[in-house]
Amino acid sequence: MSNSAGGPSGIITRTYKSGSIIYFENDKSEYIYILKAGKVFLTTVKLDTGEETKEEVRQGEFFGVKSALGKYPREETAQTVGNTMVLQLTPADFERLVLKNASVVKKMLRVFSNQLRRIVKMERSVLGESEIVNADAELFKIGEYYYKAGITKHAQYAYKRYMEYYPDGPNAALAMKRIRGIDAGEPPPMDLGVHDAPAPAAAAPQAHRQADAPEDFSIEEPSGPGDMIDFDDSSEEKETKPSSSSSSSIALEDEMNDFLTEPASAGGDLDDFSLDEAVSGDSPKELSDAADASFAKGNFPIALDLFQKVIALNRTASPEEKKLFEKAHFDAGRCYIEMGKPKEALDILSKILRNFPGSAYTKLAIYHIGLIFESVNQKEKAITYYNKVLNMSPKDKLNSEALNKIKQLQGR
Amino acid sequence: MALDEKFFDKFGVEYAPNEIIFCEWEPGNEFYFIQSGNVRIVKLIQNREKNLSVLTDGDVFGEMAILEEQPRSATAIALDHVKLLKFHRDNFDTLMSGNPQLAYKLLVIFSKRIYDAKRRLMILLLEEPQIRVMDVLVMLAEQDPHLDLQNEVSLQVTAQDVARWAGLTEDDAQKELTHLNRTDKIEIFGDRIVVKKIREFQRLVASRRKSMYQ
Repeated sequence: MSNSAGGPSGIITRTYKSGSIIYFENDKSEYIYILKAGKVFLTTVKLDTGEETKEEVRQGEFFGVKSALGKYPREETAQTVGNTMVLQLTPADFERLVLKNASVVKKMLRVFSNQLRRIVKMERSVLGESEIVNADAELFKIGEYYYKAGITKHAQYAYKRYMEYYPDGPNAALAMKRIRGIDAGEPPPMDLGVHDAPAPAAAAPQAHRQADAPEDFSIEEPSGPGDMIDFDDSSEEKETKPSSSSSSSIALEDEMNDFLTEPASAGGDLDDFSLDEAVSGDSPKELSDAADASFAKGNFPIALDLFQKVIALNRTASPEEKKLFEKAHFDAGRCYIEMGKPKEALDILSKILRNFPGSAYTKLAIYHIGLIFESVNQKEKAITYYNKVLNMSPKDKLNSEALNKIKQLQGR
Repeated sequence: MALDEKFFDKFGVEYAPNEIIFCEWEPGNEFYFIQSGNVRIVKLIQNREKNLSVLTDGDVFGEMAILEEQPRSATAIALDHVKLLKFHRDNFDTLMSGNPQLAYKLLVIFSKRIYDAKRRLMILLLEEPQIRVMDVLVMLAEQDPHLDLQNEVSLQVTAQDVARWAGLTEDDAQKELTHLNRTDKIEIFGDRIVVKKIREFQRLVASRRKSMYQ
């Protein structure tokens, strides 16, 4: 081979005596080799059994490619048998060489992807994930998951794919029914729990569903999809604090401090909702339990009404009552989120920060404010709130969730 | 890393924020190259949506579709406005022949993925939960080329992540971490774990791995 005048590093020819080691397992090296003459054996230790396997490199073949390209330690030991000559390439040399020869890259790609498949399969089996699964049933489950979580847009996607690939599948009728239901703006049926629903990102798609289906709820006029568009920097500031600056996260910092220091205002202004559903009692505890049950069923408007009633009672004498009172604020906020009313949600959650700074719900409320901003694509603000959560003690799962959110929003 | 502009005319697709690109278990026939934007990769684990990663400009995903007709192993969701190049498996040969640059990129990605998958598998093959947790920390330390392993290292990782890598329940992982914390091997913060002597963990894990084979 020519002494590669074009490249910065150059391809070098190396000769070895019999029994020489070209590289050891765990060595770090960026070189890639081509066997020109002689013999090379690669010795690998099997991951699961510790057993050694030997593989002979054929003349003209590459070796050491994966670890060099992936920039990790050698996985095998390369040893010569008989006098041997190899070409030693840097990744840049290798790239130049293979770019001229697409079929080599293609062949390597096939080998590599087969290896990858095998390892991933093994990983699954070690993790105890069963290999025999019905892809159609699993795909349907994905739809069901998002459906129950109220993320109907994602559910719709999964159901549609299901119909596309498994039009005669066992869940086809149900998938079709769900698709039509979502198209018609029907809310998920009552018997679908939301216990395992992920709170994140649920708000935005919910908003659409709600906006499409006003007739299902008699509570108030739906504000329509305009809601989401209005919920930008400027309108949000109207809601929380009139301010002339609008852009930076520093402004948000202030806003947040305001939340924490402003004197307590009287409880929320409450609309008097009239609902058909009878409520058995009117103690905070009974109302709260009924509200929880409605929430669990996914009936957020009714749950919201009940939480509002708890708030309206304004009973904070005993620690229990105080806790229910605070909880009602938080859960009313979650109802608004679920109902696609981010402004209202923000309003009531910020009351928690203002009125009960030391509350057990403060951290949750801040986290959910993050979720709200995230759901309307205000990343910077969302991050600011997640950051607040991150720095709050005690460190618990929510701190990790917040960190994940930040990483996610910052794109790693 | 931007590929030829003419590519976008032919293979370009765009997604709005929060739109699904493909979902777990749907048959996969295409792979994607991110021109711009961010893509969230999530998976349902124990009926909860888990974030696996966020991919960005120049990244490739869905590449497993190239070889075999297997359902997608995760869901890809556009995080913001995303521009992608979408390639069908059937075009793979022609595509690779015509674009060795893309082929080379895939080769590099596969090299890395193979190693990462192997490394994870090595952790799972360890028997003792304690050693697994240590090896997770070793793996993370090794993955960061900026760390000086002779000194104390700070790893951006939560107990939840450790549990996932180690194939343990969150409770079990937390228990092991607490133990390591109590014996002053590590310090746990909300978003990171500081390992006092990662070399010690490395040695311990290596010797366990060796003895495992005997």
